[in-house]
Amino acid sequence: MRYRNATAYRFLTPYLLIFAIFWVWPIISSFMISFQATRTVPWRFAPGFNWGRLIGDPAFFNALKNTLLILVIQVPVMIALAMVMAVLLNSPLLKARGLYRFAFFAPVVVGEVAYSAVFRLMFSLDFGIVNKLLNSIGLPKIDWFSNVTPAMALIMIAVTWRWAGYNAIILLAGMQSIPEDVYEAATLDRVSKLKQFFYITLPLLKPVIVFCAVLSIIGTMQLFTEPFLITERGGPGGGTETLGLLLYRQGFRSLNFGYASAVAYTMAALAIAITLVQLWLTREPK
Amino acid sequence: MATVTLKNVVKRFGSFEVVHGANIDIRDGEFIVFVGPSGCGKSTLLRMIAGLEDISGGEIAIGGKVVNDVEPADRGIAMVFQSYALYPHMSVEQNLSFGLRMTGNPKADTERRVKRAAEILRISELMDRRPKKLSGGQRQRVAIGRAIVREPQVFLFDEPLSNLDAELRVQMRVEISRLHKELGTTMIYVTHDQTEAMTLADRIVVLRGGHVEQIGKPLDLYDNPDNQFVAGFVGSPKMNFIKARVVGHEARGVVVELAGEEKTRIVQPLADAAPETGSKVIVGVRPEHFGLAGEGDADLPVAIDVVEHLGGTSFLYARTANGEDVVIQRDATRVPDTPGITVSIRKSYLFDEKGLRLR
Repeated sequence: MRYRNATAYRFLTPYLLIFAIFWVWPIISSFMISFQATRTVPWRFAPGFNWGRLIGDPAFFNALKNTLLILVIQVPVMIALAMVMAVLLNSPLLKARGLYRFAFFAPVVVGEVAYSAVFRLMFSLDFGIVNKLLNSIGLPKIDWFSNVTPAMALIMIAVTWRWAGYNAIILLAGMQSIPEDVYEAATLDRVSKLKQFFYITLPLLKPVIVFCAVLSIIGTMQLFTEPFLITERGGPGGGTETLGLLLYRQGFRSLNFGYASAVAYTMAALAIAITLVQLWLTREPK
Repeated sequence: MATVTLKNVVKRFGSFEVVHGANIDIRDGEFIVFVGPSGCGKSTLLRMIAGLEDISGGEIAIGGKVVNDVEPADRGIAMVFQSYALYPHMSVEQNLSFGLRMTGNPKADTERRVKRAAEILRISELMDRRPKKLSGGQRQRVAIGRAIVREPQVFLFDEPLSNLDAELRVQMRVEISRLHKELGTTMIYVTHDQTEAMTLADRIVVLRGGHVEQIGKPLDLYDNPDNQFVAGFVGSPKMNFIKARVVGHEARGVVVELAGEEKTRIVQPLADAAPETGSKVIVGVRPEHFGLAGEGDADLPVAIDVVEHLGGTSFLYARTANGEDVVIQRDATRVPDTPGITVSIRKSYLFDEKGLRLR
């Protein structure tokens, strides 16, 4: 048995080597870099340099606040929307189900740059269709890119558009795994469709909902594309700068790798912490 | 308690008809079993009574009231599903009380009903457990309990025992029988297992291909089947069918000769018009209706393939000279240890070529 194991590991060695060099080592290395002052040549070990800056940096707290704001508003709204979409997709009355399923999933496949460009056009002040629509129902135009609140809303709308369908498909798969006869039993028990949704579908979907929420939280903590491309590098004036963007700015614009690493580790730690709290809150009762 | 009446009930899925005009009268308090092979329409029929399937034609009445357009919840029925269909995220107690709680039934009454159901089914000590912590038999009890708390006029069982092992199936069969005696409610039970049908039913409805083949008391079906299908389906091991030919007519009845057995002739008394000489017929013999040579109407030499000794009885799997398989049931002490024996046919049934009984 031991011999067989050794043979297996010999076959795995090429993969494990590559994994160790290009995956494990960068993770360890970046953690070590976060303890170094990287604006001097040569880099020197200074544990308080980056981590100390982090706790007092207004730009970091601004990015953290923006990220958490998006997280708190966008993730629940998106999952609720995904749930509605999944229920509609699951309806036996729906024709051409495959087409809708594809349509809901399509935004994930669309290139990020293309989708960001289209969003910029749609929300443009003077010739965007969104402002045209607002005008047509008597509402004033909104300058989506120059004011912080509309800009944040735009980021949330864009992220929701992109990922709601994806989550809906996952939720749909969960819904379809609930046996039909449980609903039939509830129907015979005189339980209305609405109550069936709240008392049967939702509780039984809980693990799937938690899964979607965890994926979304991790995604939002790393949010980069939308504020970079749609609101032009976290504009206006850092109003939509997220932690991902701050990391990029520090690492690749200012070449301050030590600080960027500290930000990266903070993002990862926050994602883990929030996820753990969520898992704890939604744990199965014994 | 209520009667259930099915009048010319038809079910179509698209253009495909699966139930072709079923007529069944179920009496108040009766235990009736729908039995038949897979795809015979028995579950569809049950689901139509429950209201889970639309009725394509005909009429279903419960307690004298036509329910074709009545919602499932308002039909006064409760159903036990094959897969139990318990709510997996609820405890046993919550499973039992869920329907009543959701419809605003008074709390004290809900508690009373749940307690009574738990006592009847002896699951009081399981009330806090989730379904996944229960054995198959316990789950089935909870599923039955959930039906009991609704205090329905009619219980519907959709193959409730098919997911249980053999021993538990026998035990639950007895329990369901006891439950019927205790509650006295009309029960409609679907199964493909003829033993369950024979042991539980007041009356059995035998279905095949969406047609009702025969309705009757278990032993009436056994002793007096209307056709070859019912004769073969009811009874285990099933009735033996041997090809034969009419060779003449006597005052006592029609004379048939078993295929390939010139010496084996049976005289079958018939009230109906006898088939013409030379027409092909089928002789049906139940395994227990074979006797020792010379004991019965005709003797039949057979070659023995396999003998199964079950203790009290033995089954002989044998072949006639014409190569037809027959199963012979014998007292265990009287099984000869020879490759071939001659048995007598003590009682037989006659069917025409289409399988209809000739009597």
